[in-house]
Amino acid sequence: MTVTEQEIADYVARVRGALTDLPPAVRDELTEDLPEHLAVVAAESDGTLVERLGEPEAYAVELRIAAGFGAGRRSATGELTAFVDRFRARLNTLDRQLGPPLGYPTVRAFLHLLAPGWWVLRGYLAAMLLAAVLSTGLNGGIGLLPRFGGHLSLGLMILTGLVIASVMLGRRHRGSRIWSGRLLVLGNLVLVCFGLAALVYLEDRRGAGDYYAPISVDSRYDHISDVFVYDTEGQLVDYARLFDQNGDPIRLGYPDCDDMRDVISRDEIDSANPLLRGYPYCPEAAPFGPRPTADASPPALPAPPGTVQPDSAVPPTVPESAATTPEAPSPATETAPTTPEIPPTSAPAPGVAPTG
Amino acid sequence: MDTTQLLKGVLDLAVLAVLREEDGYGYDILRRLRDAGLTEVGDASVYGTLRRLFAAGLLTTYVVPSESGPHRKYYSLNAAGRDQIARSGKRWRSFASTMDTLLDDRGRAA
Repeated sequence: MTVTEQEIADYVARVRGALTDLPPAVRDELTEDLPEHLAVVAAESDGTLVERLGEPEAYAVELRIAAGFGAGRRSATGELTAFVDRFRARLNTLDRQLGPPLGYPTVRAFLHLLAPGWWVLRGYLAAMLLAAVLSTGLNGGIGLLPRFGGHLSLGLMILTGLVIASVMLGRRHRGSRIWSGRLLVLGNLVLVCFGLAALVYLEDRRGAGDYYAPISVDSRYDHISDVFVYDTEGQLVDYARLFDQNGDPIRLGYPDCDDMRDVISRDEIDSANPLLRGYPYCPEAAPFGPRPTADASPPALPAPPGTVQPDSAVPPTVPESAATTPEAPSPATETAPTTPEIPPTSAPAPGVAPTG
Repeated sequence: MDTTQLLKGVLDLAVLAVLREEDGYGYDILRRLRDAGLTEVGDASVYGTLRRLFAAGLLTTYVVPSESGPHRKYYSLNAAGRDQIARSGKRWRSFASTMDTLLDDRGRAA
């Protein structure tokens, strides 16, 4: 005995493997007495099963043809067909499952309603593609409307014509599966690819227009990041605003100092748009002299104390008073809280006279 | 001419004819066909043909326990099968005699 149980089992498995595209019940029925048959064949003759019966795959083809199940799918194209069939079946399942959430029995029914819209879009895309192909090198770009040699009116006429043609084509070809239908699918794919490429192109160009053009215009000042205004006393002016001869604000630089967050939270009115604060954006970065927002500097103290009422121990309206006297309030409010706490005894607060 | 090509057309009839004599299981039917002279009939072809004739309603099956090994599925002709073999047999005889005549005439002419 040259044939083992294992060889029989392998042969059966390969025959069944070549019949996987059949329904399981049919496959079981076709191969149910194959093991017994192989055992008898093995018992009565020498040689392997393959020598006696041929390759299992060939046996499977013979079996299915005799049983009336067509000629098998052992070729590569057959495998592809089987794969496409499975894919299509899965797609159909998804189609039915995803339809109800959209409010339609199937997704296909929903897409069917969108078809005329696609026809119009297809005509537009065809016109744009035609314009892009014909006008390459003239202006070298794609706009939103087709131009032929710079003539928009001609482009619009062609656009209208192509949209009408596309709609007519769509109505005529609805549901057809002839070869011209496949050609149509190919053309549709080309137009969709072109449309996506054009969108990417337009998006790129839009970005360039927004972010790069102004810099080239203002190139003389683009190295300026902040502006510091000093008065005749050499004091740094806070919240300074610059205007040109027309009353238009002059915008230079951009607030990008490290403690910008602190600055914004302190000046709540202007926190919405830091560009409206006035200059300097970053007082700490002042190139000369005393820094106005640093802790109470004595030189700033004597000049304007009389304007501050002592009761405003914790003034919530610093920016309002800043409108009249830009820098005095901050040192004054820091010293002011100490004076009311001192009882009106003989001990005078040095250097401060807030008795009014 | 290749006998397997001829067999494709008449295997149904041959299987029905074998079963008209006596019921049988797959390998048994195959062996009887071979013993009758159809030596080139393929194993798988016989099994496949049996399935197809059964699916067409011409055969009935029943299972017989085997002393050695698994149960065997026996096939037998039913009324439709007997009717079918009567008609197909008549057609075959007519066809075969036509072919005989044709071959004899040509053979004499040649």
